[in-house]
Amino acid sequence: MKLRNTLLAAIGLAFAAGAAQADINVGVVLSATGPAASLGIPEKNTISLLPTTIGGEKVNYIVLDDASDTTTAVKNARKLIDENKVDVLVGSTTSPASLAMIDVVAESRTPMISMAASARIVSPMDDQKRWVFKTPQNDLQMASAIVEHMLANGIKKVAFIGFANAYGEGWHEQFKNLADDKGIQIVANERFNPADTSVTGQALKLMSVKPDAVFIAGSGTPAALPQKSLRERGYKGPIYQTHGVANNDFLRICGKDCEGTLLPVGPVQMARSLPDSHPVKASALKYVEKYEAANGAGSVSSFGAYAWDAGVLLEAAAPVALKNAKPGTAEFRAALRDALEGVKEVAGATGIYTMSAEDHLGLDERSRVMIEIRNGSWSLLK
Amino acid sequence: MTVRLPADPVPSDASAARRRPALLSSRLVLGVFLVLLLVVPAILSPYYVTLLNYIGLYAMVALGLVLLTGVGGLTSFGQAAFVGLGAYTTAALTTATDLPAWLAWVGASPWLTLVAGLLITAAVAVVLGSLTLKLSGHFLPLGTIAWGISLYFLFGTMQSLGGHTGISGIPPITLFGRALDDGREIYYLIWAFLLVAMLTTHNLLDSREGRAIRALKGGRVMAEAMGVDTARARMVIFVIAALLACASGWLYAHMQRFVNPTPFGVHIGIEYLFMAVIGGAGYVWGAIVGASVITVLKQWLQDLLPQLLGSSGNFEMIVFGVLMVLVLHRAREGVWPILKKLVPVRTAPKTIDTAAEPLPRRTLPAAGERILEAKNVTRKFGGLVANDNMSLEVRAGEILALIGPNGAGKSTMFNQLSGVDTPTSGEVLFLGKPVAGHNSREIARMGMSRTFQHVKLLPTMTVLENVAIGAHLRSDKGVLSAAWRLDRAEEARILKEAARQIERVGLQDHMFDEAGSLALGQQRILEIARALCADPCLLLLDEPAAGLRFKEKAALSELLRKLRAEGMATLIVEHDMDFVMGLVDRVVVMEFGHKIAEGLPDEIQNNPAVLEAYLGGVD
Amino acid sequence: MDMSIALILGQDGITNGAIYALLALALVLVFAVTRVIFIQQGEFVAYGALTLAMMQAGTVPATVWLLVAMGVLVTVFDAGAALRAGRHRRAAAVAGWNLIYPLALAAIMAMLPVASLPLLVQVFLTLAIVVPMGPQMYRLMYQPVASAPVLILLIVSVALHIAMVGLGLLFFGAEGQRTPAFSDASFELGTLMVSGQTVWVLVVSALLIGALYQFFERTLYGKALRATAINRVGAQLMGISPALAGKLTFFLAAFIGALSGVLIAPITTIYYDTGFLIALKGFVAAIIGGLASYPIAALGALLVGLLESFSSFWASAYKEVIVFTLIIPVLLWRSLNTGHVEEEE
Repeated sequence: MKLRNTLLAAIGLAFAAGAAQADINVGVVLSATGPAASLGIPEKNTISLLPTTIGGEKVNYIVLDDASDTTTAVKNARKLIDENKVDVLVGSTTSPASLAMIDVVAESRTPMISMAASARIVSPMDDQKRWVFKTPQNDLQMASAIVEHMLANGIKKVAFIGFANAYGEGWHEQFKNLADDKGIQIVANERFNPADTSVTGQALKLMSVKPDAVFIAGSGTPAALPQKSLRERGYKGPIYQTHGVANNDFLRICGKDCEGTLLPVGPVQMARSLPDSHPVKASALKYVEKYEAANGAGSVSSFGAYAWDAGVLLEAAAPVALKNAKPGTAEFRAALRDALEGVKEVAGATGIYTMSAEDHLGLDERSRVMIEIRNGSWSLLK
Repeated sequence: MTVRLPADPVPSDASAARRRPALLSSRLVLGVFLVLLLVVPAILSPYYVTLLNYIGLYAMVALGLVLLTGVGGLTSFGQAAFVGLGAYTTAALTTATDLPAWLAWVGASPWLTLVAGLLITAAVAVVLGSLTLKLSGHFLPLGTIAWGISLYFLFGTMQSLGGHTGISGIPPITLFGRALDDGREIYYLIWAFLLVAMLTTHNLLDSREGRAIRALKGGRVMAEAMGVDTARARMVIFVIAALLACASGWLYAHMQRFVNPTPFGVHIGIEYLFMAVIGGAGYVWGAIVGASVITVLKQWLQDLLPQLLGSSGNFEMIVFGVLMVLVLHRAREGVWPILKKLVPVRTAPKTIDTAAEPLPRRTLPAAGERILEAKNVTRKFGGLVANDNMSLEVRAGEILALIGPNGAGKSTMFNQLSGVDTPTSGEVLFLGKPVAGHNSREIARMGMSRTFQHVKLLPTMTVLENVAIGAHLRSDKGVLSAAWRLDRAEEARILKEAARQIERVGLQDHMFDEAGSLALGQQRILEIARALCADPCLLLLDEPAAGLRFKEKAALSELLRKLRAEGMATLIVEHDMDFVMGLVDRVVVMEFGHKIAEGLPDEIQNNPAVLEAYLGGVD
Repeated sequence: MDMSIALILGQDGITNGAIYALLALALVLVFAVTRVIFIQQGEFVAYGALTLAMMQAGTVPATVWLLVAMGVLVTVFDAGAALRAGRHRRAAAVAGWNLIYPLALAAIMAMLPVASLPLLVQVFLTLAIVVPMGPQMYRLMYQPVASAPVLILLIVSVALHIAMVGLGLLFFGAEGQRTPAFSDASFELGTLMVSGQTVWVLVVSALLIGALYQFFERTLYGKALRATAINRVGAQLMGISPALAGKLTFFLAAFIGALSGVLIAPITTIYYDTGFLIALKGFVAAIIGGLASYPIAALGALLVGLLESFSSFWASAYKEVIVFTLIIPVLLWRSLNTGHVEEEE
């Protein structure tokens, strides 16, 4: 009985936790469990660092886990919109889940800031995607950094290996478009699963086509496995990775096999080494220090920065919207959307955001730098 | 005239349950439920309507699993893949812009793609089913995991299906010119689909084919002997379950307007099975209960746990998993049976339409005609000769007893005669045709009907339904007629025939009791009624008198005499000498696989070899 | 593809196949004795590998607290019942194994500088933590429903799999772990480089399979398990307790799982949710063996490993499809050999 009363009380509490009026309610959907958990957890950790008041109004964050599943993401989005009456949605972690949520936010006319990579989330712009913004660099922007580096170093034949999921798929698409344009030949296209225990077969296949360089498109520690296999099998050429690997766990797992790896990253990863003149240094450093204070030195990753930048965008846009309407109303949501679209030169941890009606990402090449892994740590190229 | 056996003085559980005052009629409860469903979107907030939409979609898949797993005993983890087939078919066809002309018209309307999806799913299910359904129990679930994973990766790998990223921009369903793009609108469509599916399933289970399906779990040997093609019945429920999943996927795609592979992975397939088992896998309503319990529980945990345990960890999966184990510890049958006890619903017993036309009868062979003949039957198991050069014959209008001490080879001989086993040499002729090479069903169709030494009946079905299985071959209405109630005239005839046979053997007081609640002796009598319901010309009875009380034996003798007078040929394998000697026309005695004597009962009783065999010599 | 590539792929396939073989053997064993389809086998692999990794990172592995918690529950149930029945010695034994042992282990963990211990000691401690969870799990989760139909036992397994993955994420986090190799030596066989760890995997697998064979052929407990697998009721009548058989089986399965995890942790990166897919491949092998034959299951495991390795070379995007579709011809072959109608549980 007692347990039951406690449970009932707790259920009541859960429903009452909706929110007081006039607070700004931010609904967050992210993948804290499931295959994308290594991306979602730093995002979740970051949410608790976001500003608790904006423009004099209290901000409530309601975080729900979608377990890396699109159905749950949509369910959560509906719950946050219908039950918690959120003014803005942040999420989700993966591209498929973000794409699936677009329909919901457009229907309810709620702005949404995605933390997923695919360019498809905000382009081509249409009536539904008007409501959608995103903070991570498009794969295309990152890929162009890699392609530029390849061209500069005379690499003509590239062997590609990517995750057998939306991440690897997105990268292959963007990289192939760019590479075709610039005359770089993709001589192999392999896939592996993040959960695979062996990628020896793929590694041998990549080596058998004798590429000038290998490009691995994976995120987090699983991306270390192909690299280790390649080095173990005697591949000596350059290896490119994506910004998805830029965290210290990757260095720990990959060890000496990752020496010389080249990758583009957001400024946040290199915040401390950036020249003081870099426009993103100050804003990136602010996040890095806050995150590491809460979660330990060296714990920062670019995924958490996407969540941080969602907060940065809100901090810039919400005061504008507050002038026109009260939180909790459709007018406020519309005003917030307009304000987000009007964001100009706002410095986040990932880059400088300048939105427009056509561009709901708003990042430019200041949002990425090429780095190399040297002596077991990240170091800026050039 | 009917033979009356004394009624069992101890009331069975089932009949006691019927006597308990039940206040609510099932129609009333159903009506209240339907009205609730109708008004719910007007009362609840949009989010709860959304949840109900998901519950409806999940319940539809779980319903397929109720049929497949709970009723048919076949476990599948792969239903999510069928959901995916439905969702991807419609998603690909309705969003594609460059379809070849011969296919493009299908993409014009979601209703056409529903048909396409159902056809594709049925085809895939038939192929997978024919590969896996023949296997015994535990292979199927593991096999389904395997193809569930394969299909999942195929969805993700095929670029034409949007790859892992998925397909967006799926149009809403239009109904009477109205686009169902709002949660409240598609709610009615989803629940209409679900209710139709439930009604169909309910109808199906309460029919000739339904009884065959319900016999799959634990009664396959019996059902085959009654002429049921159990392999076909398994395929039928496998395809139905796949089609239900496909329809759910179609609705999902048009509700979500986006598909990607993750909702069709094996983890979700496992969750569907979860829903069915937690709700009550043996009950049609268990599907809704299971889908609701799991969906709502997950929502509650999501709200509740961060309040109780803080938001630093993710405890939902852990608590959810442990809760499920506890539910299974407390309620193996699922939640529905518990709910049912809380709401005292009166279930009306089946009515027997006495005016129904009798089922057609076979013309019995003329008395004295040779029905069954065993010629020099020898059966060896390795070095052991179980039957050695056995010959016997049974004629119409005659009762033959095959007796012998334990281990004499009677059961082996019974198996040779009934076609379950094939002799090493020699042959068995039934109505002049060899039995060897025919399966149980064909032999049943030829007019041989049998009972089992170890009673084989379906304990949770009523006596009436158990007996009605016997009439399987005397009727022919199939799955579709059953689903849409086009079989009622025939069903009335079957039930009338079953009731007639039950009265004939004297079990009329137990007609609506669960068969499992009967005493062993009565269960044996039930088997005879079932065998008679098949309208055979030869009755093979394996120890029918075992476990019967004195009066029951007398009544059974009376019944068999009457059948003999009607021209039935009967072979009895029996231990009970008193029962046999007063009843039968001729006796064959076996010992150590040989026939040691044959003749009239009186002769046998005085045959020294028989006395030696039975009594170990005359004192 | 030339010969040297084929050799490397073959070696890779056999190494993975050896692990699948171990898991397949455990799956067959558990199913035969308890009728449980042991989906959580993979979680034991992950727990084994990650517990070792946590020790090497210098932290007290969180799994030890799970051991303590489960031990407390078992003690409450069993020692309580024994005390009420007046069997004090039995109660003391239960408490000793389930309460004092885990607590002592936790104390050792907290006091010793685990990160600097020799690798073999770490491996031993890992097994000491993870393996007792097998019998504890049987006692708490399966024993109360031991007589239930296979389907219910299967659903219990699935529920436990979900809970264990959730716990794994809580204990170990979402990032992967890798442990140092048992030995850095490598050997050259012709053109083929064989790493020391590969040799370790193969040798330990072979030894373990041999030991299991001896156990089942020579020891009383092994024979008791075999008897239970062949005829549960008969074995019970002969005085073999089904609960004991169950716990023993789960002990072996947990041991095999955790040891497999420890063995492959240096070769690949292990995540909290890696186990499921590994165990599923073990399942494919077990199915090839009909969930009954140990040698065929082991051969099947090698086949799965080789197929996986070669298909990752030829068509990496379709690798999983190929491996899991392998089961279809196997099932077909089996179904062609199953003629008559059988009754099922």
